[in-house]
Amino acid sequence: MLEIKNITKKYTKGTARYTALDDVSLNIDKGEFVTVVGPSGSGKSTLLHTAGGLIHPDSGQVIFKGKDIYSLNSHDAELYRKQNVSFVFQQFHLMPYLTVYENIKMSCYKPGQCDNIDQYLKDCNLIEHKFKFPSELSVGEKQRTAFIRAIITGPDLLFADEPTGNLDELNSSVIFSLIGDYHKKGGTVLLVSHDPEVTKYSTRTIKLQSGKIMN
Amino acid sequence: MNPVKLVLKELLYRRVNSFIILLTVIVSSTVSVAIYSLSKASENETRVIMKEQGLNLYIFPKGTNLIDFYSVNGTPTFPDSYVDTLAGSRTFDAVRHLTGILQVKYPDWTDPNGSLHQIVVVGYRDEAMQRFLPKQEIMGTDVLKGTVHVGAFLARNIPEGEPFRIKGDDGAMHEFRIEKRFEEGKGMLDQGVAFNLEDLQQLLGMKGQINKIEALGCVCKDGRIKNARKQVQAIFADLEVTEISSIADARENQRLMMNKYGSFIIPFVILSSLLISGLLFYSNVLTRRHEIGILKAMGKNKFYILFIILFKAFILGLIGSIAGFFLGSLFADYFGKEIFRFTAMDIKPLWMVFGVSIIIFPVLWMLSGWIPALVATQIDAARTLSQE
Repeated sequence: MLEIKNITKKYTKGTARYTALDDVSLNIDKGEFVTVVGPSGSGKSTLLHTAGGLIHPDSGQVIFKGKDIYSLNSHDAELYRKQNVSFVFQQFHLMPYLTVYENIKMSCYKPGQCDNIDQYLKDCNLIEHKFKFPSELSVGEKQRTAFIRAIITGPDLLFADEPTGNLDELNSSVIFSLIGDYHKKGGTVLLVSHDPEVTKYSTRTIKLQSGKIMN
Repeated sequence: MNPVKLVLKELLYRRVNSFIILLTVIVSSTVSVAIYSLSKASENETRVIMKEQGLNLYIFPKGTNLIDFYSVNGTPTFPDSYVDTLAGSRTFDAVRHLTGILQVKYPDWTDPNGSLHQIVVVGYRDEAMQRFLPKQEIMGTDVLKGTVHVGAFLARNIPEGEPFRIKGDDGAMHEFRIEKRFEEGKGMLDQGVAFNLEDLQQLLGMKGQINKIEALGCVCKDGRIKNARKQVQAIFADLEVTEISSIADARENQRLMMNKYGSFIIPFVILSSLLISGLLFYSNVLTRRHEIGILKAMGKNKFYILFIILFKAFILGLIGSIAGFFLGSLFADYFGKEIFRFTAMDIKPLWMVFGVSIIIFPVLWMLSGWIPALVATQIDAARTLSQE
């Protein structure tokens, strides 16, 4: 489904230049749940953002459905992000002035896509918070809202960047379990995490160190 | 979600930021509307005062000795057809109410009691209609043919019902019906007689001749005398224009001063407000960088991002311009009534200004949000969304 081919990405910090991704290649098949683990600064998030079309690599390709997403024009690149992929971040990035319901609805782009919000809210134990604002939610509830926002449109690929980084153990389990359920229903996931618990749900684990895949 | 709804929700959520931006629009539009309305009121006041004062511009042949004009005869004359030429000119609009006049001293008028007097005789041509200007109310003195208007001092010596008799250049006595007896206070005319121009020209044997044109100078941007002189001399280089100093001058100077200050204050206030609101929009964009990042991650395009910033600017510009118009009109009404006594009751909201300000201010405030909006479209979603 997604082919990452020889991706290299270098950053400059002051006068120093360091390599976040060094000739990384990776294939993710439909229905896979791939977890990327590794120490801080190993390039995990850069890999995820590059795959998601948010960071342009210095070299290499990210091929989705036969097309390199970085050779798409800006309109098609936007469509890729809108229709094919979605993200869950460590920070939930909810709009503070929108209710739970409205935050989720933000990502819908065609009629009927948001008809089942209530069902998702029930499944994620958020139905009673439907009309609450993010400031009235706990961190776990915020991340569950962000998760529903990410999957409501039925993306081909879900990218999760340290989705439990701000959560306690209990809430982390809930989020992993929700992502696991999404995967079981046929969703494809690329997840970056420090948390070893995630490996219980994933079908493949990739170790990244100094911008290189180790296994 | 509808981006308009998103903008309105954000606007209400970040009330302080929105309110301060709104305040900058209100201050700018209030100051602009108030100054403009007061300057218009000042212009109207000047116009009314000038009308009250009568015709304020004299057009003479060049070389006329103005010191002697009222005391000697033989001042230079020019054809009365000049008036028609001026009135018929398409470009001649700085002077109105053109009245051709022949004014001479008549040294030996004998009153009905047989006493000899030196009097002033003035022939008035009907006020010229300017072909390319809207029709106006007649301000000059129109004297019907065969009649005269007699000054107050002379009228005392002529019994009621009697005609005015005067010896013509041909040596014969001529009679004119007295149409009007002036009250005292007509200046030179208190000891004079107003004729229809043709009657006087015939009487004195000066057919087709006048020696001045009285007129009303415009309330123009560059001042009336400068404009009037320029336009008259463009047509007749042999004519000179002079102005009767009056209270209108003070008003005119006040108006010009007001325009001068207004042309400095309005842009200064607007530019300062735009700068402040530009910084506020920029700070708003920085505060919202995560929101903008997530919108980008959701695949919203740059026009969507531009729209949510610029539409906010538009809404605030529109609300501010409406509030500012009414506040400005209120200030103009309050202070204008104190300052402009003659036209106090005419100071009303200028609806044309309302129409202009509800277009200009939203556009200006959208411009002030333009750079922040461009910054928003350049936000690096990956970096922003990865920040803890």
